[in-house]
Amino acid sequence: MKTFLKKTAGIVLAMGIVGSMAACSSNSNGEKQSEKGGSGETIKLNLWDQSVGNTDPSAKLLPEIIKKWNSEHPDIQIERTGTTGEQYKTKIKTAIAANEAPDVFYGMGGGSFMQPYIQSGNVLEITNYVTDDIKTKLAPGMLKAIETDGKIYTLPVYTHIANLYVNTELFDKAGAQIPTNYSELLAAVEKLKAAGITPALMGEKDRWPGMYWYDIVAMRQAGNDAVIEAFKDPSKWDSPDFVAAATKMQELAKAGAFNSSMFSMSYDEMLGAFNAGNGAMMFQANWVNAGIEDPSTATKGKVKVIPFPIFEDGKGSAAELFGGGVDGFYVSSSTKHPKEAAEFLAYLSEQLGTKGFLAGAGLPSWNIDGLDTSSLSTLDQSAADIMITATSFITWWDNILPAESAETHKNLIAQLLASDITPEEFCKQMAKLKPTELTL
Amino acid sequence: MNSVFSNKTALSIFVLPTLIIFCTIVMIPIFVSSYYSLLDWNGIGKGTFIGLENYVEMFTDSRALKSMQNSLLFAGASIFIQLPISLLLALILASTVKWEGFYRTVYFIPVLISTVVIAQLWSKIYNADYGLLNTLLKSVGLSSWAQDWLGQKDTALVSSFIPTLWQYIGYHMLLMYAGAKSISQDIFEAAKIDGASRIRTAFSITIPLMKPILKVCLVFSMIGALKVFDLIYVLTGGGPFFSTEVPSTLMYTTIFDTYRYGYGSALSVFIILECLVFTVIINKFIKTD
Repeated sequence: MKTFLKKTAGIVLAMGIVGSMAACSSNSNGEKQSEKGGSGETIKLNLWDQSVGNTDPSAKLLPEIIKKWNSEHPDIQIERTGTTGEQYKTKIKTAIAANEAPDVFYGMGGGSFMQPYIQSGNVLEITNYVTDDIKTKLAPGMLKAIETDGKIYTLPVYTHIANLYVNTELFDKAGAQIPTNYSELLAAVEKLKAAGITPALMGEKDRWPGMYWYDIVAMRQAGNDAVIEAFKDPSKWDSPDFVAAATKMQELAKAGAFNSSMFSMSYDEMLGAFNAGNGAMMFQANWVNAGIEDPSTATKGKVKVIPFPIFEDGKGSAAELFGGGVDGFYVSSSTKHPKEAAEFLAYLSEQLGTKGFLAGAGLPSWNIDGLDTSSLSTLDQSAADIMITATSFITWWDNILPAESAETHKNLIAQLLASDITPEEFCKQMAKLKPTELTL
Repeated sequence: MNSVFSNKTALSIFVLPTLIIFCTIVMIPIFVSSYYSLLDWNGIGKGTFIGLENYVEMFTDSRALKSMQNSLLFAGASIFIQLPISLLLALILASTVKWEGFYRTVYFIPVLISTVVIAQLWSKIYNADYGLLNTLLKSVGLSSWAQDWLGQKDTALVSSFIPTLWQYIGYHMLLMYAGAKSISQDIFEAAKIDGASRIRTAFSITIPLMKPILKVCLVFSMIGALKVFDLIYVLTGGGPFFSTEVPSTLMYTTIFDTYRYGYGSALSVFIILECLVFTVIINKFIKTD
């Protein structure tokens, strides 16, 4: 009996190994055959993006655009892989570091996210592929925005700006006025609180929603020019203007402007709560428009988008906007078909940029003169109207600051909101950040 | 066939595939990480060799020290809270209660559910605005106790420990239950004839005879606590203000948010060494024959 068991065990083990080897080898044979088979000349390009959300209009547009391209270009076939936001960042970083990047991929644009990869040569320079024809189709100023030291690595899709979203129904209920300046903002907070309404929602668990608040407060207080100076020379963060900004930020938090659960609320939960009418204000970029306008939300039609209130003692104007960074797709330098990939990049960027604008995904960075904009939602239209008034843009600060400083910046703001540190201490710590590596 | 099993060459050939796979996906990365941990490197391009500076920073940085302290606290909680509960449940189940199979299955269910699902579930329980816990407290008149469990420094750590402890109680219970069940019934019968009480039987017979499996549970629970990541990451992400940070979440943020592969690798090497040291200590102090 024992020998029989041993024999069977031995045979099973041996067969297992043979089986797995056979499985491996037949697999690789199969792959080779399929590569050689087919039409022989077909070029396959991989595309990675981060548009998969239910309320993300790009998630619906991308497959349509790719399908159209694939049917028009039988010899250049695109294969798309979509991954959601934070996971996408990790995935693309790992792939680039391992030299396994897809041919074309989405890169969080206009800042520190792509900068290291451009410097290390992992991203293909496409200056030569950008024809004059493409250049004329771009919206004014966009060509300059995508250049890095005179070279082009990406084409813009659309852009985003952050504004204050106010739930007019809740404001009316509380008898509060929609704020245009800081004292009105404080007054509105008091009225809303008295009516038992959460004045503003902040998903500070993810830390960047709080950063948006501080950043716009600092820009209103010190003005965009002073902020840009401070990016270049961090010692300027420790100056009266920024101390005043941090004081105002802490004052708002102490006045109970934000939900008491902010430190455990994520960005997604914040959106959910705002869309359910659980808070009267939210400071976010126009990518939240589609979600607010969704027929299933309690807030549809009741939300207005306004420029962030100006400060009576501040140097910033309402036309100095937070946002305007250019998000776009990049071509990997390891691609085997640079020309085709660049061609597809141009097609994709323009199609997604114009169609996405109409679908409410973002503000346009391509020429939209001939487009019928009547289908735009009111929120998108007002955001576009605000953007036209802009005199200057500063994009998300965590994209401008070097990665490590961006983390510190966000952590400091969380501490400021919790009154863990004083505004003076906050500014002293900010002054220790590294200067930006970007040309602003 | 017998000759095949006594033939060293044949044995080596059979073991080889597993060995190769083990080396390529476990051993080599560990050595590569150890090398990275000596670099100042952003993950792309070339790194500069800085010797042990990353390790020096690790043991002087208050954030890293706090994360180690948290993981040790967590390991302590696993051993002194989780394992006794598992043992108690296992002993009760093994002493042939009614519906044994039903209870066994129910206690084991949390182990089968993905940790991310569990974390989402508990974050809804803890939710400050509509969470089950706060609603419950309010409904019994304890609304002053209701709070933002995961959003405050002093409650976040304990609140994030509880789901992990709860999740793996069933796992250790099942291991211990199997250990208790495999003890020969003859011994229990003899004890019964001698007039030993149930508690006496448990302490003098069942637990001593379960020693090998208890040691396994101890090692698993200790290591599991030291390298915990997923649940903390989803529940709090290490926040608020690093109060729930453990070495693995710190490693993740260091590598993927601040691009410090060298320092992150040093943290990962620390986690491996920490687990190894504790395994050796446990094996040394609890001897089984």
